[in-house]
Formats: sequence, C-alpha cells, structure tokens
Amino acid sequence: MAFDAFSRRNFLKTAAGAGLVATIPGTEVVAQGGLKILKSRCDQAIETIDPGWRLGTVDDNIMRSVWQGLISVVPGESWNWEKQLATEVVQETPTRIRFEMKKGVMWSGGFGEITAEDVKFSYERIANPDNKMAYRTDWEKLDRVEITGTHSGIIHLKAPFMPLWLSTLPAGSGLVLPKKAMESKGITKITTDPLAYSGPYRIKTMEPRRLIVLERNPDWKGERPAYDEIHYIVVLDANAAEIAYEAGELDMTHLPIASVARLQKKMPAKSKLVVKPSLAYWWLGMQMEDGPFKDIRVRQAVQYGLDVDMVLDAAFFGVATRSTGIIAPGLIGHRPKNQIEKPDVAKAKQLLAAAGFPNGFKTDIGVRNSAEFVNAAQAVAASLANIGIQADVRTFDTGAQKALAGDKGGKWKEMGLHIVRFSMQPDPSWATAWFVTEQIGEWNWERFSNPEFDKLHQSLTSELDEKKRDEGYRRMQDLMEASGAYVFLTHGVNALVHRDTVAPALSPDAQRQFWNRFKPA
Amino acid sequence: MGFIIVVLLVISALGADFLATHDPFRMAPRQRMLDPSAEHWLGTDQLGRDVYSRVIYGGRIALWVSLTAVSLSLIGGLILGMLAGYGPRWLDNLLVLVFDAVRSFPTIMFALAMVTLLGPSIPTIITVIVVASIPVYGRIVRIQTLSMKETEFVLAERALGAGPVRILFSHILPNVIGPLLILASMEIPVVITIEAGLSFLGLGVRPPTPTWGSILQDGYQYIRDTPWLVIAGGLPLILTTLGFTFLGEALRDAFDPKLNRH
Repeated sequence: MAFDAFSRRNFLKTAAGAGLVATIPGTEVVAQGGLKILKSRCDQAIETIDPGWRLGTVDDNIMRSVWQGLISVVPGESWNWEKQLATEVVQETPTRIRFEMKKGVMWSGGFGEITAEDVKFSYERIANPDNKMAYRTDWEKLDRVEITGTHSGIIHLKAPFMPLWLSTLPAGSGLVLPKKAMESKGITKITTDPLAYSGPYRIKTMEPRRLIVLERNPDWKGERPAYDEIHYIVVLDANAAEIAYEAGELDMTHLPIASVARLQKKMPAKSKLVVKPSLAYWWLGMQMEDGPFKDIRVRQAVQYGLDVDMVLDAAFFGVATRSTGIIAPGLIGHRPKNQIEKPDVAKAKQLLAAAGFPNGFKTDIGVRNSAEFVNAAQAVAASLANIGIQADVRTFDTGAQKALAGDKGGKWKEMGLHIVRFSMQPDPSWATAWFVTEQIGEWNWERFSNPEFDKLHQSLTSELDEKKRDEGYRRMQDLMEASGAYVFLTHGVNALVHRDTVAPALSPDAQRQFWNRFKPA
Repeated sequence: MGFIIVVLLVISALGADFLATHDPFRMAPRQRMLDPSAEHWLGTDQLGRDVYSRVIYGGRIALWVSLTAVSLSLIGGLILGMLAGYGPRWLDNLLVLVFDAVRSFPTIMFALAMVTLLGPSIPTIITVIVVASIPVYGRIVRIQTLSMKETEFVLAERALGAGPVRILFSHILPNVIGPLLILASMEIPVVITIEAGLSFLGLGVRPPTPTWGSILQDGYQYIRDTPWLVIAGGLPLILTTLGFTFLGEALRDAFDPKLNRH
C-alpha cells in the first residue's frame, strides 16, 4: 500500500507477484515520490461513469470521488446521509424539497461555480423519458427543479417519492454534473472523462480495462483526503486479485463468497477481513418470450426442479443462505419465505411433459465469467439435468452479457437462462425498478411484464404508509415468482480483505468505497 | 515411448466409459476438494466431482478435437496445396496470398477473435484451428507439388495423356503425404494446447463438459485450497504433448531420407 519506497525487495516482490498487476507501469515511479497510495481492486472494466448510465458499484466509486451531490451517503454501519454541496435540504411537503447550496465551490477547468443550474440539469436529464437513461426510475417522480437563486432551488415531485432520501439523492443519481462543460463540448452522455471535477479526486490515468489512477483534486475545499492517489486496478479474476493482494500489489480487494471460509481459518499476514450482509441479490432468471421458456409450465418446472440449497452449497461453499426474494432481510418488503420452498422433481417432470418436453431440451445458462458464477451455473446445470434439461454454461464479460440480453436485434433469444447478481440500495424500490416493463431491453432480462407489478412499483414509491409499502413489495415478489421466470438464490455477503494499515470507509453493506474518508490505521 | 503414451491416451479416451470410476458430471458439494484416495484417485474438485473421471473424459475431448481438427486441416491443406502447386499461376498467387494472410494472425489471437464472434463451442474451436492450420499444410504441399510436377516421371505421365487429377492423386499425393503425416502428428499437441488454453480462458468447450483446460482453470482458482486440480489438469497435457512430439520425431527420423543420410 502506501508509503512504498523503491527498494530491491519491493522490486522483487512486485516482479514475483501476479503478472497482471505487476505489468502496470508507473507504480514504482509513483512510489518513488513517497506519495501515499491506496491500491484497490476494480472488478470490472469501466465503461461509463455517467450517473444515468452507470453499470455497477465500481463506476459509482469513481463518480463519487470526482463529483459531489447535494447530499451523500455516510460511510459506516447505518444508512445515513450528510450534506455535501447543500447547506440546507428541507422536505417542505411530500412533493417539494427546498435546497440551498454552498457558495464558491468551483468546477475545475474554468467552468465556473457550481450552481442550481447544474443541479437542475443533472436531475432533469435523468428524469427526461426522451433520454431513456437506465437509471431514469431514480427520478421517475421528478416534475422539475425550480431555480430560485444562483445557489438555491426547489425539487418539485409529481408525487411523493419515498426512495428519494435513500436511493436517489445520496446515491449516484443525486450527483451534480458540470452543465457548462457538457454543453460546451456537446456531450450528452459521459463515458470515462468527467469533463470537470468537483469532488475530492480527479482522474490522472484512465485505462478503463487496466488501471484508473485518481489524484487529489487541488480545487477541493473539503477535508483533505489521507491518500494522495487511489490506484483502482482492474483485476477481473477474483483469484488473481487474491494472489495480487497476497503479493502486496493490492491494499484491498473484495472477495468471492467462497473465499470467506478459507480466510476465516487462515488470514494473510497483517490483514483484516470485513464480512457484511449484502443487500445485493442473486437469482436464476428465464427469458419468457421465446423458446421453451415461453411456456409457464417450463418455467415452473425449473422452479420445482432446481435444488437451490445444493446450488448454494456448491457455488458458495455453504457460506450463503437462500434468499426469499430480491429484498434483503431488514428492509421494507422482505418476504418471509418463497412460494416454492423445496424441490419437487416429480412435479417438475410432470410440468415439462405437459408442456411438450417429456425428454427435456437443451439450453444455455449465461453467466459472468468468474468462478462464483460459473460454479453456480454448473450446479444449476447439474440440478436441471435431473429433470432432463441439458444446460450448457456460456460465460460473458459483464457488459457483453447485458448487451446480449438487451439486444434489439433479438440476440437475447440465445440466452434462455441466466444467473445474475444485482447490487442494491436500501430502498426496496431500487430492487423492483429493474423488472418493470419499461426496463425490457435494459436490465429486465427475463422480459417480465406484469401490469399489476408496474402499477405497484409506481404507487409504492409514493406510498407514505410503511405497512402498505411492506405488503406491496412482498406482493411484487410474489408476482415475480408466480411468473415462473425467477428462482431467487441468495443475497450472499460482501467480503473484503484489507491491510491492517488501512482504515477503510465503506457503505454499511461494505459494497461501496469512500476513498476520501480512508485513513492510514 | 511416444507411441506408448499415444496408445495409452487413445485407449483411455475410447474406453472412458469403462475406465472412469465416477460420473464426471455428478456433484457432491460436501465432498469438495478431497485429496487423492482409494475412492477418488485424483481427489475431487470444488464441486465435489471426481477428478480422475473428468481427466479421462477430458482426454476424449482433447483427442477428438485435435484429431478432427488436424485431419480436416490436413485434407484442406493437401487439396489447396496441390491446387496451388499444380494449377495456373493466378490460382497459385491467390492461394499463397490467402495462406500468408491467415498465417499473419497469431493463432491464439485469431482463435480469440473467432470465438468472440461465433461463441465458444467445440465446432467453433475446430473451425478456428482448421482455418489457422490449413496454410501450414498447404504451403508444404505446394512446394512439394511444384518440385514434383517438373520431375521426369510426371512429365512422362503427362506426355502419355494423363489428366491433372490422375497425376495429382496417383503420382504427387503418394510423394507428399509422408512428410504431411509427420507434420500432423507434431501438430496434434499444439492443437490440444490451443483447446486447453481456450477452455482455461473460459472460451473453449463450455462447462460442465470436462476438458483439461477447464480442470486447469479450476485448479488455478482453488490452488490455495488444493494443488491436486492443477496437477491433474497439467500432467496429462504434459504427457500428451511429449507423447505426440516423440512420436512425430520418431516418424520423421524413420521416414525423412535427408535425416537418414546423416
């Protein structure tokens, strides 16, 4: 980690370490300067850091380092937020949020002061249905942002929006973008260049598939980050990341769930393990518009035929427990149990026969190319073989799988089954948002469409009664399961190993990293 | 030595159904990563599958892919090489250009591009290897054909009215097939390595089908839990490569007249 001086021992250690990481140039050069460097693993290639289009947590980590929002999640044990660009944010009525902003906070690159114009621009572009942004549901109830002064405004909602304070304003979709910079350059969708900075760090190097180096933003007026540079090193393979960590080439890395048991028995030297319940959710999905899975009896046969406990045992080495839906325990809308709790192979075979597949059929399971997913897929394939379904495992990079699942030319038909893990924010609407009809071709890979589900998603985001929300979200998961297109697998855990010389600042589920709050321990 | 190894490989591949002690697909998660024992001769993998049985079945895949790919390459290279060597000048130039164009791509890069385009599967792997290998055989056959077609017995045959098909298949083919078979035997381990490499990268034969490459990949993933998976995946690859290489060298030593002179 940080404070590395260039020495023969360090050189040898680097040369002996994981080749993937050791080939990244500049590490030794930077260390020569005596800078404090934090080296963290990035588990997927960066494709976009646009808040409206982001792909995952890794994009989120970068976005929150280079820009600010009105408010931000506070790292720690509970889901709280704190003011960032705002000096005051007040919910005056269920549909009216007034905000005042700090004065004199500047964009880098000579793009002037951060004003309410930027706020209006940033939120309305996501909400605008014409832009068809993947995260438009985060702002689906936004009517408009009214500018009442250079540094003040009012967020007007069409209806009360409960996720606003948990999943929208303090998260990625609440970040404020540089309006002038984007407009002057004619850019409507940000890829990997933030154009102008307002956050604690700025990008020094951006090689999206290899290495992202963040350095302190000299214009940052907040608390000075402890680390001069963040090296976000792309290591797709979890095993390679563990080896790189053990070789001293990473200061921290998330771990596959299957590694937890082993590390709990024997930790690497001078390291700490963080294991937190995850809000994320894994499931086996079936696209329900083409091929055998178009028939609900086939989908139900998979639901009855799959031995989920065996799959979890095989893929996660007994560490993960079965989930009952897409909403984790402790959150509003968590279901106490699944509708189908135990496998019933005889019933599954009956359903397949009734659907015209007495001898089963061949299909593909699409998964991300990592050991956890591939193991899970192989276990699913083994389980489905018991009812005659022969499933081959097809592996993808994350972006490639999404591109196939959303392909407008119909390539989504090539993937009958898929195992997916989605990350999650603490409001339940953030789980259901991806399965509404509007998300078909984006994140709704099952092509699940249910008017009641869509209606509930719309109404529950405005529902102020917590009990009604709880019942509503449970009902939505019932509808998902009743469609046959889903077998809920697990929420898993988020596991992370880090040097004991680093005091990390993480979101309560240990998924997100707040690098400007990291400290040397 | 090479011959013995190859014979053993062929026997194990053909007799996999009898030699395997377990179903190579059967999972027993609670018995994951066991060390070798009387019950599991090479231990079990991360999903509790019997590694010995997977290695045996993996050999069948390796042999099938390599023999199919090499045979098709050999036939393709033979036909195109003879056409280039015996046909008109424009056809020769065209085919040489195509051979050079294909050979200009590193095989593994070419394979990665094709697999990305067509999706990973056994037919894709075979296609990739065949396309990449045909020029190797084609160039050798072309040179042999060019030198043979000016020999006196071919000229005499032509003067007697023999057509090109008869000359190619009755006179030239028997003279070029020998070196080609030697080359083919030495190409088999290369093909096996390519297949294993693609499977290791997750771009080869799809899981859960057992291949040596995928066993190696599993071994790599769990090397800190057990070394047996890497050994089980790596050893047959090493032995097979050595076996075919020794066999190829032995064939070359036996049939190459230039070497015999020395």
